[in-house]
Amino acid sequence: MARVPRARPRPPLRLLGTATNAGRQSSPAEPNPAAPLVELEGVGKNYLTGPEVVHALIDVNLAIPSGQFVAIVGASGSGKSTLMNILGCLDRPSYGTYRLGGLEVGTRSVDERALVRNRLIGFVFQGFNLLPRTSALENVELPLVYRGVPRRQRRRQALEALSQVGLLNRATHRPNELSGGQQQRVAIARALVTKPPLLLADEPTGNLDSKTSHEIMDLLEQLVETEHITLVVVTHEADIAARAARVISVRDGRIETDVLRSPPPDRAPFPSAEDAR
Amino acid sequence: MSVLFEALRLALRSVLRSGLRSFLTVLGILIGIAAVAIVVSLGESARGQISAQIQSLGTNLIYIFNGDGGGQSRGGERSGHRLSVDDADAIRRQVRGLRGVTVYSSRQAQVVGDYDAARTDVVGGDQDYVNVRGYEVVSGRDLNLADVQAKAKVCLIGATAAEKLFGSGDPVGRMVRISRHRFEIVGLLSRKGQNPFGTDQDDRIVMPIGSWSTRVFPGHDRRVDMIIASAERPDEVELLRDRMDQVMLERHHIPPDGKRDFRLLTQDSFRQTEEEIYQILSVVLISVAGISLFVGGVGVMNILLVSVSERRREIGTRLAVGARRNDIRWQFLIEAMVLTSLGGLCGIGLSLLAIAVLEQQLGWDMSLNPSALVTALVTSLVLGLSFGLLPAQRAARLDPIEALRQG
Repeated sequence: MARVPRARPRPPLRLLGTATNAGRQSSPAEPNPAAPLVELEGVGKNYLTGPEVVHALIDVNLAIPSGQFVAIVGASGSGKSTLMNILGCLDRPSYGTYRLGGLEVGTRSVDERALVRNRLIGFVFQGFNLLPRTSALENVELPLVYRGVPRRQRRRQALEALSQVGLLNRATHRPNELSGGQQQRVAIARALVTKPPLLLADEPTGNLDSKTSHEIMDLLEQLVETEHITLVVVTHEADIAARAARVISVRDGRIETDVLRSPPPDRAPFPSAEDAR
Repeated sequence: MSVLFEALRLALRSVLRSGLRSFLTVLGILIGIAAVAIVVSLGESARGQISAQIQSLGTNLIYIFNGDGGGQSRGGERSGHRLSVDDADAIRRQVRGLRGVTVYSSRQAQVVGDYDAARTDVVGGDQDYVNVRGYEVVSGRDLNLADVQAKAKVCLIGATAAEKLFGSGDPVGRMVRISRHRFEIVGLLSRKGQNPFGTDQDDRIVMPIGSWSTRVFPGHDRRVDMIIASAERPDEVELLRDRMDQVMLERHHIPPDGKRDFRLLTQDSFRQTEEEIYQILSVVLISVAGISLFVGGVGVMNILLVSVSERRREIGTRLAVGARRNDIRWQFLIEAMVLTSLGGLCGIGLSLLAIAVLEQQLGWDMSLNPSALVTALVTSLVLGLSFGLLPAQRAARLDPIEALRQG
């Protein structure tokens, strides 16, 4: 497998605007609304475990248009977690190109990737990952803290996000005072509060009973509809995957099948840009 | 900036929430800081106290003691103790630049007054004694040359002795009896307090040396315990000490490289000795405090390292939502500094308490001086920063994927 050289000059990351105007500025380093939101070109990931090289991901090409609901399925060890980590800018590819919103992000430094995660990606985890002994409201505020949003505005945006997930009346509750479904809703509000174009959910219903699972999936689907968010869900549950518009199955580090169930929604990639018109 | 402020708020909350654990964590620092603050305050106070006591001896003093041993050796009856009134006279004649030269011998004796009888120091001096030692005569008159030459049965009395023997009235003109001799009190001395060796300089009676050595304590002939001289100018003390040395060598027929049977000390050398003792004590106590601080710092570091591994998920979450390495680093550094400075504050509280107790016990005027306070706070902040560095670094270096991994 030929390694794609990193010769292409990278413009510096300029993601300093808030999400509401991220789509409007057209500097070369800003997300490009015309391109698919997610573009992987020949992406691979090798790990060195002892003397052996493990090819966790091999030559993956993938494009996800804005506003699509995609499920990634696969057995454990198939490489779907690696794919998820690369999509989430938690990890960088060993080779290949990853463009998010037209912006090369695959080769960025640790702190630049933190910036990308903060501006462009929302995360929902299987284990919720809420800060203990911290109110729901403050949990939701967390990404805004690292964005340097002033306290008052942070509070306003966090309350807004909590009302979107229907938990306005639980704002002062701590995670241990909330049910699993409620905790996951808080986590979703936290992912939403920055109005990211991409929402990554890693087994979001893995710790929930089936009724709550479907409620959470309903909520996520509704967000895809109303917020025009691109949703990527990693799951091993067939009924969850069945709700997605597109199912990508991963096996042995490669995309095995990529099934489109319904045509992608014909929407402007950046809803905020649309709102601004 | 807002991230730092947020970290500060967070740190304060988490430290206060786990009160007992935080307290135990910073106990070492608390004790160390308290020790430093107490040592510094105690040292300052003791220094002031001793400096005042040395000052109370007089100004620019040069002492000649008997023998080659310790400065406090007394007892002209011991062989080799050859200081005499004539030595003092010779110095008075031959050394220029002295404000005064006096002799001094002292023993305790039972003294009977009108009001009561008491043991007190009975000092033999001369007409220069009051001047050289820096007393003032607050009532009556000083001893004069005639008194000394006539071995007159007159004396001066210190404030404490006067109180013991005569109550609160003016003792001038009254009589005291020492063994079978009666002395008229001609003057009352001003109050001086303790000297650096711990004796009350006001609990004494001063009489002409001739009366002392022939009437009260016979058998001393012309020998005295000490000769005390006072230089006019502070910068001439060393020079005059050397001149006095010359005179004494000549009078005692000792070659310049021979073994002296007297010892010369200046007031300044007392101060130096006290200063050295203070320095040694300070170094010892500060080292102990330093060790306590170091151990305390290691304790804080240990707890923070545990905290970092306990909070891996939290760190992973923070990284996922966009925290940069510096954000995480500062979060833990600030937490460390909040911990240690709270420890420092408690330490200062403890030291205030200890100082109040010491003040009462010692009767000294002590206070926590502002520089000790600032030093304590800065020290605790620096401790937090330095011992927080490793845990903070470890937290910041966490890989988000590793940190977020389930289980």
